[in-house]
Amino acid sequence: MKNHYHQLIPPLFWIGLSLFVMVLSYRMGLGGFHAPGPGMMPFLIGVVLFLTSSYLLGKSLSKKAGREEILCEEKGETNYGKIGLVLGSLFLFAFLLETLGYVVVTSLFFVLLFRSVGNRWRTVLLASALAVFVTYFGFTLLGVKFPSGILKF
Amino acid sequence: MDIFSGILFGFQTILEPSNLFYCFVGVFIGTLIGVLPGIGPIGAMSILLPMSFGIPTVSSIIMLAGIYYGAQYGGSTTSILVNIPGEASSIVTCLDGYQMARKGRAGPALGIAAFGSLIGGTFSVIALMFSVIPLAEAALKFGPPEYFSLICLSLLICIYLARGSFVKALIMILVGLILGCVGIDSVSAFPRFAFGCPSLYDGMGLGQVAMGLFGISEALLNLEKSLDRTIFQTRVKNLLPNIQDWKKSMGPIMRGCLLGFLLGILPGGGAVIASFLSYTVEKKISKEPHRFGQGAIEGVAGPETANNAGSGGGFIPLFALGIPANAVLALLLGALIIHGVAPGPTFISQHPKIFWGVIASMYLGNFMLVLLNLPLIGLWVKLLKVPYRILMPLILLFCLIGAYSINNNIADMIVMIIFGMVGYILKKLSYEPAPLVLAFILGPMSETAFRQSLILSDGRFSIFVNRPISAVALLIACLLLVSTGFSFYRKTKAEVIVE
Repeated sequence: MKNHYHQLIPPLFWIGLSLFVMVLSYRMGLGGFHAPGPGMMPFLIGVVLFLTSSYLLGKSLSKKAGREEILCEEKGETNYGKIGLVLGSLFLFAFLLETLGYVVVTSLFFVLLFRSVGNRWRTVLLASALAVFVTYFGFTLLGVKFPSGILKF
Repeated sequence: MDIFSGILFGFQTILEPSNLFYCFVGVFIGTLIGVLPGIGPIGAMSILLPMSFGIPTVSSIIMLAGIYYGAQYGGSTTSILVNIPGEASSIVTCLDGYQMARKGRAGPALGIAAFGSLIGGTFSVIALMFSVIPLAEAALKFGPPEYFSLICLSLLICIYLARGSFVKALIMILVGLILGCVGIDSVSAFPRFAFGCPSLYDGMGLGQVAMGLFGISEALLNLEKSLDRTIFQTRVKNLLPNIQDWKKSMGPIMRGCLLGFLLGILPGGGAVIASFLSYTVEKKISKEPHRFGQGAIEGVAGPETANNAGSGGGFIPLFALGIPANAVLALLLGALIIHGVAPGPTFISQHPKIFWGVIASMYLGNFMLVLLNLPLIGLWVKLLKVPYRILMPLILLFCLIGAYSINNNIADMIVMIIFGMVGYILKKLSYEPAPLVLAFILGPMSETAFRQSLILSDGRFSIFVNRPISAVALLIACLLLVSTGFSFYRKTKAEVIVE
């Protein structure tokens, strides 16, 4: 049977997180039970997380868990390109909002996303223009203040 | 204030034009998100949460509550007409609702779903009104140990009832508790897990976390599914069920009211479990169980009543104790806290306008929902035809602007996108983010109660078992743990034998 090391990544990540939390909490000061310090609660949570994720790691190492994971994987295919494109658009929106302003950046955002999910260019342009217009006035009515950007509105 | 004057005061509050408007907006959005697959009440509430900061507290809570119970109504429409549940609590409605539609009885199926929801919703509001005040009065005697034990019990029930793996749900709770620790410690004023970043001193923002985990991640997951849906071609006519339909449905509706309300009080998604249990009960006690799955109206009436009754029941622990029963109500609790209102035993006496206003809005909202869902059914059917490839960019934009509007800060958008990625990965790995959000909100409360208890008892853990309510809560929590452990042991043993 092919080894599926990626199954070990989540429990190992949780173990790493729990150790990180425990170390930081210890440094904050645990205090005593009569006067718990700021690190007491996160430290205790870290210990439980460590134990739980160690158990999950043990389970993932077992043969049966490996088989379950393979079955799950076969169920669906992930289009990482599309996911990457959407995430990229989200980050671009966030980084460009203050520079370009709401109208420009939202127009670009909609064109990119509407097109990426397979709409025709005519639909893309029409839907983008309509969506920018409606959302701009909708959000402004709700009291949201947008950065003006290069168009100064 | 007695119940009668309270409810009059509530109606006086809800009949103010602005509150009436926000109540309508809430139930309308609730129905909308219930009808449209791809965004649930948690996503919608988290998107609207930052935008509700600018409106009065009572109006914003009325609107957010409307989204919560409104979503239960809308979810049935897609279940019946498209065979796709708009909400998890409407999954079971697909079984008989869609079969009824295929047989040309979409109208009575939608009708009984709406009337059942109205009866269930109204029953739960009446029961809520009568039970929350005595519970809040009793809760006045609760101290930190009782609160800590009750929060532990809530989180454990949430894990127990979570879909999928118990261990994964527990990990989600623990991660939520860790996230809840971020920020300045309320006792020592020591900054925790802030890494010198001043924006983390106030803790992680609920809006950013919730929008990322539920709004963005859901949109990303939906990219993997087929973007087109086929709507069952049928003319929706005769929305009013006939006498025969009513005769068959009255029993399931009555049982659905009780089941839904009682299960709704329990933490961990009461409305979902209530709908499934109601269906099982109806099938079990029916003289013709073979009709179930073939278009039995009882299979629509019972679950639809139960999920609405369940949504009302969930308000009891929130209003009386300040402990939310599920992630949606945890967001409502977050909204109250952001508005400077602390729910708990003194909530009703200190904020009667909010409490009675919300109660009265639920009465009115349920009627608004029937009007929205029956005469306007054609509008929702048309909306179902809007392809997801048009909706998805809009959902993402709402999330982005929602995050930005919290502090007019780009960093909030970035945090939300990161949580969106985290939520997407978690869901791909079968980790449910709902327990995480519940623990994230309850974490600081439980920590404060835990530390206060230990200070009160001079470091003795016996304080948690010496007080009867705390001891009972911990005993139930232990029993749940033992029962889960035992069933897990049996399952593992059976697997070993099979191998």
